[in-house]
Formats: sequence, structure tokens, C-alpha cells
Amino acid sequence: MQKKSNVFVKNKMFTILLILAVCIGLVAVFAPFIATHDPAAAVLTDALKAPSGDHWFGTDKLGRDLFSRVIYGTRVSVSASLILVACIFLVGSILGILAGYFGGWVDAVIMRIADMMIAFPGMVLAIAVAGILGPSITNAVIAITLVSWTKYARLARSLVLKMKNCDYVEAARVTGSTTIHILVKYMFPNVTPTLIITAATDIGSMMLELAGLSFLGFGARPPMAEWGLMLSEGRAYMQNAPWMMVFPGLAILIVVVIFNLLGDSLRDVLDPRDE
Amino acid sequence: MKTKKLLAAGLTAAMVVGAVPVSTQAASDAHLNFGCYVYSTSFDPAHYQNAAWQGMRWGITECLFKFNDDASVAPWLCDTYEVSDDHKTWTFHIRDGVLFSNGDPCDAQAVADSLNRLFTVCEGADYSSTPNQYIDMASIEADTDANTVTIVTNVAYADLTGPLCFPFYSIIDVDGDTTDAEHAGGYSTSIIATGPYVLDSFDELSKSGELVANENYWDGEVPYGSITMTFIEDDSTKAMALQSGDIDLTENVTTISDLQNLSADDSYYVSMKDGVRAGFAYVNFNGILANDSLRQAVFMAIDGQTLCDVTVGGMYSYGPGVLPSSLAYADENLDNPYAYNKEAAIALLDEAGIVDSDGNGIRELDGEDVVLNFVTYKNRCLDIFAEAIMTQLAEVGIGVNVNSTDSDTNWMMMQAGQYDLLNQNWTTVGTGDPTAFLLNWYGKGGENFYSEENAEASNYCHYDNEEFDKLYEQFTQSLDTEERNDLVVQMEQILINDCAVLVHGYYNSTMISNASKVTGADIPAFDYYWLSTAIKPAE
Repeated sequence: MQKKSNVFVKNKMFTILLILAVCIGLVAVFAPFIATHDPAAAVLTDALKAPSGDHWFGTDKLGRDLFSRVIYGTRVSVSASLILVACIFLVGSILGILAGYFGGWVDAVIMRIADMMIAFPGMVLAIAVAGILGPSITNAVIAITLVSWTKYARLARSLVLKMKNCDYVEAARVTGSTTIHILVKYMFPNVTPTLIITAATDIGSMMLELAGLSFLGFGARPPMAEWGLMLSEGRAYMQNAPWMMVFPGLAILIVVVIFNLLGDSLRDVLDPRDE
Repeated sequence: MKTKKLLAAGLTAAMVVGAVPVSTQAASDAHLNFGCYVYSTSFDPAHYQNAAWQGMRWGITECLFKFNDDASVAPWLCDTYEVSDDHKTWTFHIRDGVLFSNGDPCDAQAVADSLNRLFTVCEGADYSSTPNQYIDMASIEADTDANTVTIVTNVAYADLTGPLCFPFYSIIDVDGDTTDAEHAGGYSTSIIATGPYVLDSFDELSKSGELVANENYWDGEVPYGSITMTFIEDDSTKAMALQSGDIDLTENVTTISDLQNLSADDSYYVSMKDGVRAGFAYVNFNGILANDSLRQAVFMAIDGQTLCDVTVGGMYSYGPGVLPSSLAYADENLDNPYAYNKEAAIALLDEAGIVDSDGNGIRELDGEDVVLNFVTYKNRCLDIFAEAIMTQLAEVGIGVNVNSTDSDTNWMMMQAGQYDLLNQNWTTVGTGDPTAFLLNWYGKGGENFYSEENAEASNYCHYDNEEFDKLYEQFTQSLDTEERNDLVVQMEQILINDCAVLVHGYYNSTMISNASKVTGADIPAFDYYWLSTAIKPAE
């Protein structure tokens, strides 16, 4: 406990950002208590009202309260981004570990698929995949997972390659450890810290990619309160009702910046070279 | 034979114009930049419908007749005509002195060749225009001495001049080749016609083209020496391109906030007109909405007036009838028993036992949540209607899944019947009367229901009402204008009484020009016509 508190005191920046990130999580969890209106309730005659005491962020084209929608949007955007990063992390690291450990044709097959994925521009491929699967937030997560796992696979593979011939792994082998045991007990724990840092720095960019897909119409579908979709809906009213773009845009900006900085400072905290 | 004259005054004027010898115009050096949606990469009217429309919109092709804004017909390449008593033999006199843009005469023989080629090639698989849809043709023959074309039809038409306004029947120079033997690829971008402008080049990749003045134009001076037609897909981009000066003229900006900005600024002239298009949602009678109480409640829960006036900001004018109120079908006689009344909708649902018994906010019918599958596409505010209707139906406890697709998928889902409500925006009187449009609800005891096996049928919603069918048949056989108008109103009323089609409103077309550069840019009610000689450089 003593050691942990030291970590927080020593890394003030990290602590502050962590608190902010937790706050974002709390906003998502307690959205119903923070929002002033039902985010789905439309009063058609109140469409495109400018920010006021009644509607802090104004209203959208269907007369829905934008503040409430931005708050509820935290739920969708943050949870989808976390699920997305978790998916990429799992798929990428498992395939990378397998490729690195077994080598040979397993390595060749997995890494050539990865090379193929990297050869395409990521967003374009994600748009193609999401386009084929049909627009929904789940499909957007699947699409981005399919194009983003390669980074983790390559990283995990290179880490495994470095340690698979280490003495302790050899020792485990000669003492009769099964392959599964070696993979789970030695390989996975050793690649995890580096991958976690990568994952933390990726949360922000993944959130942007999800918002991007939603903005283009391949992600969240109306009437879902999702920031990318809200930006897209506001685009047509940019000149007359700029609040429809400004507030969801600010929400994305703030959350992405916080998660990016948090990822950076997490790297500073966990980077063994500093010690 | 009895002789019919179109409009006495118009006809006289037209003949005078026709008699004026064509003078070769010195092309103006004025240039216009027109930013517009481009629906087709072909301009051959036989190719497919959008190709036919595009040639006419760009001022390249012309028909024998054209529509006025009130759907009445004005002479164009034909100046006078006669019809036999049985309304099957039509003799059209081609305006004297008309030339194609290449200088060849557009006489009776050229017109007959053009129309014969259209009907011949459209029988093949390479061409998907459907000229037979509006004219059941028996023969087309030219009398070169009299400069007349005689069209014989298999059925009687009350007025064939209406269908002949349809862009399918644009007259192009086929040089006597009525089968495309010499032009295997058709006339996609090598089209020669009689309009004020000539297609000089077209880039398929950017879908943009260059027009030059037709030096042999028959109807006065061509105001612009050249026009750049730039493809702009997005509405806001159109508005911004106009504001930045990249374009001088654009059509159909459907984003109301952009339109309001442009209207408020004296630098731009916004022409908006009640068009002949209706925005509506098909109601699938083969699904959950076959339940009368549910359907009636859905209709009563939707505030159509607010949707038109506020949500889409006046881009549509509201009315319950399926035909625009600007047309000659007396709209004030229509009575809507299912006008917006949220409380009545809730009461009706409760009374019918469609209640929310599991407390999830959505009512159940036969033990299942009522969740309607609303298919739409992003065009002319249709997606905004769908979203707004979703929120209104949620208020009475009816769930809606809005499925926003592209227009091709939308069409396929309509054919496959995979919808409860499906948005469309259609020209209602494409040939001057609603014969084709109303066919959508003509059931004929199921014989006209569309299916893969019955692909000729045109009823995609499985609506069937004997009385409507009877009136429709009477309508198609009647040759009396007043009786026909009366029958249309009766059919509209039946559709309203049955909640057979959810009418959003009547679409208002727009054309916006830079007032300091362009004058006369008024949008016609029929969106077959964009560019014309009325659009001129401002002084």
C-alpha cells in the first residue's frame, strides 16, 4: 500500500489524469442523474434552439436536449472504445504470442495476414468491413478490431521471440512443462506490461476511429446518442446551429486528450528503463 | 378526325416562332459554373431513366412537348397535332426549321427514327429505359412532305402529349440508324440533340462535364457560350461552393439551415416551388401494419404539419392526399379522419388491446413488442422524417427501428417486402397525370402484387381495395378530363380512409443563383428541366 501511494505521489500528472479518467467513467455511470432531460425525448417544435438556461448546450434538429445527449454519449463512446481496445489487445497478443513461440508455418500464416492488413490504409479497410457488415456500433468495433490487431500481434511476437530461448524458458521445457503452461505462465505475463501501455495510449485514437466511422455513417445509428454520429448530424446545420457540432466535438476532444495523456504518463510510470 | 389545339394563344405564338428561319447565332462568350447532383454518366435517353432525365436537365435534349408548372402541356419540337376519334392515331407536326446541334435537320423523319430507335433498342438487354411503360406503341411513321409523325397506339390515350413530355421520348439525332447497328455503345456521351446546349466533354470519374452553346439552336439566342457542370454530391457543399464563388448556380439544397442563410442574403436568389414530387412511406400490408387499429393509431400519432414546417423547415408542404395540392386534383375536398391526435391514438391502441403489459415502454400485439422496421435513405430529407417519426411513435409506445440504407438497397428491400414503412420520394405526375403513380396501390385481387415471379407488377405494399381498383380502371379508360380529375380525388380519399400510404408532404424544389452573376434562374415544378435559355448572365 505504501509503495502504491508513492507511485501516485511521485507521478502527479498521472494521478491527476487518472482522476479525470475516473470522472469520465463516473459521468458515464451516473448519466441519468447528471442529464437534465431524457436524451431521446424529442419536442419537434423546440428544434435547433440555441444554448439557454433550459437547454445548456441547445437542442438538435428534433428538439432533443444536446447536453443530455452529450452526457449519455459518454456511455456509448467510452464503453465501445474500451471494449474495442480489449478486443484488439486479446486478439493481437494471442496471435502474436502463437506466431512468435511456434514460428514456422504458424508464424508465416499469421504474420502474412497481418502484413496484408497493414498494406491497406486502416480507416479505408475499416470502412469497407463496416460497409459490408452494415452500420452498427458493434460492427464498427468488429471492423476496427479486424484492422488494428496487427500492431499488437507484431509487438507480442517480437517480445516472445526475444525471450523464448531464455534460460528460464528452456528450464521450464526440460522440466516437462506443457506448451500451454509455458504460453500462459511465461509468455503472456511477460508481454502484458508493454502491451498494456500500448493499449492505454490507444484508447484515445480508437475512440476517434469509432467516432470517425459513426460520422461517416458506418457506426452508431440514430437515435443513439453517440458523439461521432452527433457530429455528423450537426454538420448539415454547421452555419445556423453550430452548437450541434461544437459540444459533441468538445466532448470528443476532452476525452481523447485525457486518455492519450493518461496513456503517456502510464508509460512513464511503468517503463522499466526509468528505474 | 377532330383537331385539338393546345392553347390557342400559345399555339399561334409557337407557329410564329416556328416559322422564323433559324439563324446561326454568334455564341456568347459568357460562362456559367453550375454545381449540381449528377445522377448518370450517360445521356442516352434509351440507356436508363436517369440518363434520359440528365440530358434534358442539362439543356441538351428536348421532347415534342414540355410541361408547364401546373402540369399542363406546351408545344416544344411539335407545334400542332391531330388525334383520331378513337384516340389511338396521333399526328404530330414537327416545327419547321429545327436543326440538330450538328446542323442536320430535325424533321419528321429524324423524329420518327429517334423514337423508333428508342423502342427498338429498349427491347434488348443493354438498355433499361422502359418507353412501353407510358406509351403502348403500335407504329411510328413519318410523312416527310407534310413534316408530320404519325404515332399509332394499341390503347386509347386521353392525352398522349403528356407521356410525350417524359424524357424517355427526347429526340436525338440517330442518323437513320434505328437499331444502333452503327452505334453499338449507344450515344452515352456522344449525343446530338436540339437543346440550347451541346455536351462538349464529360469526365466519368468526376461526373462533371462541359457544355457549349448550340450554334444551330432554333428558339432564340443561347445566353452562355460555355457552361461547366460540376458534380457536387453534398447539399452543404453546394451552398458553400455558391458562397465561395466557385459556382454561380446550383439546384436543390435540401439542408434548410443552408437554404435559410442563402435566402436571407440579398447576394443570392433562391427560387423555391411546390413541385410535383410527394414524399411518402409505403405501408406494408403484409406485415404487422395490416392491423387496422395499429395502422390508424400510427397515422394519428404523427404530426405531419410540424414535421414539414419545423423539422424539415418547409422543404415539404404538408397534405394528407398522395398527390401534391398544387395539382388540379381538388385538395380541399379531401377529408382526413386520421389527422394528428396523440390522445386519440393512445385511446385507440388501448381500446384495441395493444397495450404495454410488460412495462418496457413498448406496446405488444399478439404477445410481441410492436417495433416497426422503417426503411429509408438519405435523400430529400427522408431520413429526417424517419427519425422524427420514430420519436413521435415512441411517445405512444410504438417502437421503430430506422434502417437508413442507400437508394438501391432501399429499392431492393421494397421489392422484397422487407419493411413495415419504407420511404420514397416520387414524381407523382411524370406523364402529366398520376396513372403510373397510383398503380402502386392498384391490387387487382393480388394480381398486381409484386414478387419475383410477378416482376411486372407494381404494387409493392400488398394493399388491395376493390373500390379503389374499380375507380382506377375507370380512370385509365376515361377520356374526359373532368371525370378523370374527380376519380383521382375519390381514389386519394380511399387511400386516406384506409391509411394506405403515409404521406409526409410535397417536396419543394429549389434553384439558387448568385444574383450578381445570373438572372432568370427559376426552378420549374417538373425537375426534368434545369438549364434553359431563361437562365442568363446578369447585366
